[in-house]
Amino acid sequence: MLSAMPHQRRLALVLAMLVLGSTACQRAGSCTGAYCGTLVFGVVGEPDILLPPSTQEGVSRDIEEQLFLKLADIGLSTNTIGDEDFQPLLAERWEWDGPLTLVFHLDPRARWQDGQPVTASDVAFTFDAYTDSLVASPYRAALRRVASVTARDPQTAVFRFREKYPEMFYDAVYHMRVLPAHLLRGTPRDQWKTAPFGRQPLGDGPYRFVSWKAGQSLELVADSTFFLGRPAIRRLIWRFTPDIMVATTQLVADQADGHDQLVTPDNIARAAAAPQLTIYPYRGATYGYMGFNLAANGDTTQPHPIFGDRDVRRALTMAVDRASLLKSVFGDYAKVPPGPVSQLWWIWDPEMRQLPYDTTRAKWTLSSHGWRDSDKDGIRDRDGQPLAFHLLVSSVSTIRKTYARLIQEQLRQVGVQMEIDEVDNSVVAERLAAGKFDAVMLAWQTDPTPSSGVPQVWTRGGFGRSNYLRYDNPAFDALVEKATSAATRAQARVAWRGAIETVNADAPAIFLFATDNVAAFHKRVADVRIRPDSWAALVRTWRIPPDRLIDRDRVER
Amino acid sequence: MTAWLVRRVAASIAIVFLVVTLTFILMDVAPGKPMLGPTERLVDPQAEAILNRQFGLEGPIDVRYVSYLRELVHGNLGLSFGLRRPVADALADAIPNTLLLAGAALLIDFLIGLALGVYQALRVHRIPDVVLGNVTLFLYSVPTFWLGLILLLVFGEWLGWFPVAGMSDPILCPTVSSFYCAMDRLWHLALPALTLGFVGAAGTARFQRAAMLEVAGQDYIRTARAKGASERRVVLRHQLRNALLSFITLFGLAFPFLLTGAVLIETIFAWPGMGRLATDAILRRDFPVVNAAVLLASTMVVVGNLVADVLLAIADPRLRVRSGGGEPA
Repeated sequence: MLSAMPHQRRLALVLAMLVLGSTACQRAGSCTGAYCGTLVFGVVGEPDILLPPSTQEGVSRDIEEQLFLKLADIGLSTNTIGDEDFQPLLAERWEWDGPLTLVFHLDPRARWQDGQPVTASDVAFTFDAYTDSLVASPYRAALRRVASVTARDPQTAVFRFREKYPEMFYDAVYHMRVLPAHLLRGTPRDQWKTAPFGRQPLGDGPYRFVSWKAGQSLELVADSTFFLGRPAIRRLIWRFTPDIMVATTQLVADQADGHDQLVTPDNIARAAAAPQLTIYPYRGATYGYMGFNLAANGDTTQPHPIFGDRDVRRALTMAVDRASLLKSVFGDYAKVPPGPVSQLWWIWDPEMRQLPYDTTRAKWTLSSHGWRDSDKDGIRDRDGQPLAFHLLVSSVSTIRKTYARLIQEQLRQVGVQMEIDEVDNSVVAERLAAGKFDAVMLAWQTDPTPSSGVPQVWTRGGFGRSNYLRYDNPAFDALVEKATSAATRAQARVAWRGAIETVNADAPAIFLFATDNVAAFHKRVADVRIRPDSWAALVRTWRIPPDRLIDRDRVER
Repeated sequence: MTAWLVRRVAASIAIVFLVVTLTFILMDVAPGKPMLGPTERLVDPQAEAILNRQFGLEGPIDVRYVSYLRELVHGNLGLSFGLRRPVADALADAIPNTLLLAGAALLIDFLIGLALGVYQALRVHRIPDVVLGNVTLFLYSVPTFWLGLILLLVFGEWLGWFPVAGMSDPILCPTVSSFYCAMDRLWHLALPALTLGFVGAAGTARFQRAAMLEVAGQDYIRTARAKGASERRVVLRHQLRNALLSFITLFGLAFPFLLTGAVLIETIFAWPGMGRLATDAILRRDFPVVNAAVLLASTMVVVGNLVADVLLAIADPRLRVRSGGGEPA
């Protein structure tokens, strides 16, 4: 039939189909009032699984914020010490029963979305699951100081700790999202990593799971019966994209309503220029550095021939102008960190003692240690060995690659040759674990507290874990131990400052950047509050005023 | 021809087996380790070790290979540790998407390419031929991803005529009829399919033009004209039909593309197809997904070639005659 049509008619038909396709997407719905609204988040990547103890990906955690509640959650201050800044969620209140026992009283209104009440047995089941080696939860180590969790009665959960320390409450509530025991008890724990529940979860949070189209999108809908108050925005949709450029394009083209981390100044500028968007800067959780392998490349029993020398490391650190590098790469959207510190941590203090940018002193130090350019080729050498090394960089990180090239040039100015090895993440991870590298460009996304990240990355206890540089200073370890067990925040602050200044003086790494996160959301969204450790934590309190609704907000499902 | 076909099928199975085996070994010896989580988060080595064991990533390669083949024979492609789901499920989601995109792209490619090639050949060395020759040469020289970015920028971001990413509107599709949803999908398909189709059509047009001109000088064309056949009949029945023989070979080569996808275009337009699935899996060393993707791709290549050979034999009577005693030429 189509072939019998004249050319013009066929063309008209095809055009009509395209117009229909486009007009279908402009159909207005009928929802009005305070509880309409659909937010589309363009995100990079896709969830791995929506079963909190098994989750690894950041986007999974953002979605789980809406589906599963914690007993209580950290406040906007992100203060992890004591319990005064924490907000009740599943637990309506709590009290200390002696120095090592914490008692939570659950809110009796709390319900799973199948109508079952949330009980203390669910809390005990959750702790058991998170600490079960078969589940292999990445949060298991963080719960090592909690001895047990039991149900005193259906509304009362009791936590017992192995020792007293300032972040007991944080450990009790921050890492675990309470799970529905009645739905998960029948699934063998070694199968949780791929459990069907994780692709069709049922929770107790402000939103219910609706659908997950692999590679495309995931949809949640507000639970109008949520016991802490009905969320104002009716639907949340995560659209999955392969990279930040695509996500930003979607946002700028008004085909998404928000993105939590625009990352580069280019993306931020594009979003800022889009009239429908508002920019929201907030404290970042990431810090990055160029780390020196203190052990020989491939042989952890021997010191590195260059970086084993503390003074050489200090000289290299002083040869790098961190402020100008930061400006070149991030513009105004990052800060030079005062050590291995993210802006999220309460110990952030720009006044911490650091090595200055001083190329004269750097050159003098290198020369005084025998590194001189004896053959006049522009590269320093000693005993016939050039002052040269390889830097391992992830090929998928534009920021780290840019930093690497800029540092290469700055080091060349002081007679140091640095070759850049760009490889993919899996190779970086493998070579780090095997110690097969000279130097590496790394970045860590941190928890709200330094107490978990610093020991694992920078103390001797981190050997075999994430202390890939094999930095080892007993004085530093003692200060970290003192800080993590300090009774008060003031004492902890002093100890942390001492620890960070110690590591700065030893210069196992050049601490390059601590990011400012910049999010962009549609300007029709009101009451946008972003908690720096988890941008999606407060989405249930955001709203779209009725007079700002647009077509996609009104669409009825 | 039956004996030849049986031999070709057996050889094809052997090739696929060889490719699968080589891939398994190469993935194992290649640098890099399976990425069970994001690189910027702290890992618990104990948890990582348990997951490695649970996903079957530990043990000697020969043991894992035998286990892999055993499962493969039973139709089990394994579990993806990156996607936390059976590989077969992931493929079942990605393959239709890639089929849709690649099918549309191939349709555009061959329809436009064929029409342009014939049109140019019939007007050889005249202005339309010269203009179209330069246009197709330009398009043929353009990297696909560049054209994709330009179309995305102009028609997606600036003019707002087409969606910039994804394969359907997640808000509207669940709320409108399946007809509107299909239209919406077509709308999302436009830019990625046109990008792939235009670049492919440029190559096809040049190929088809050359084939048509080669056939035009043959004796049987002159004979057909001498016998008084109309120009339309000469072109359609004699020239085009014979020129299409090489086009069938071209189709055979393009056939694997139907399932392996276009990695860059799928990335630029956030199209969730096989190309993206395989690339992500390679980057995180998700061996089960990579092995399955290679299995699929190699099967498509040998099937594509087989189909092309069979079609050639059907289309060209000379090949059928020769294949009676042995292989087609």
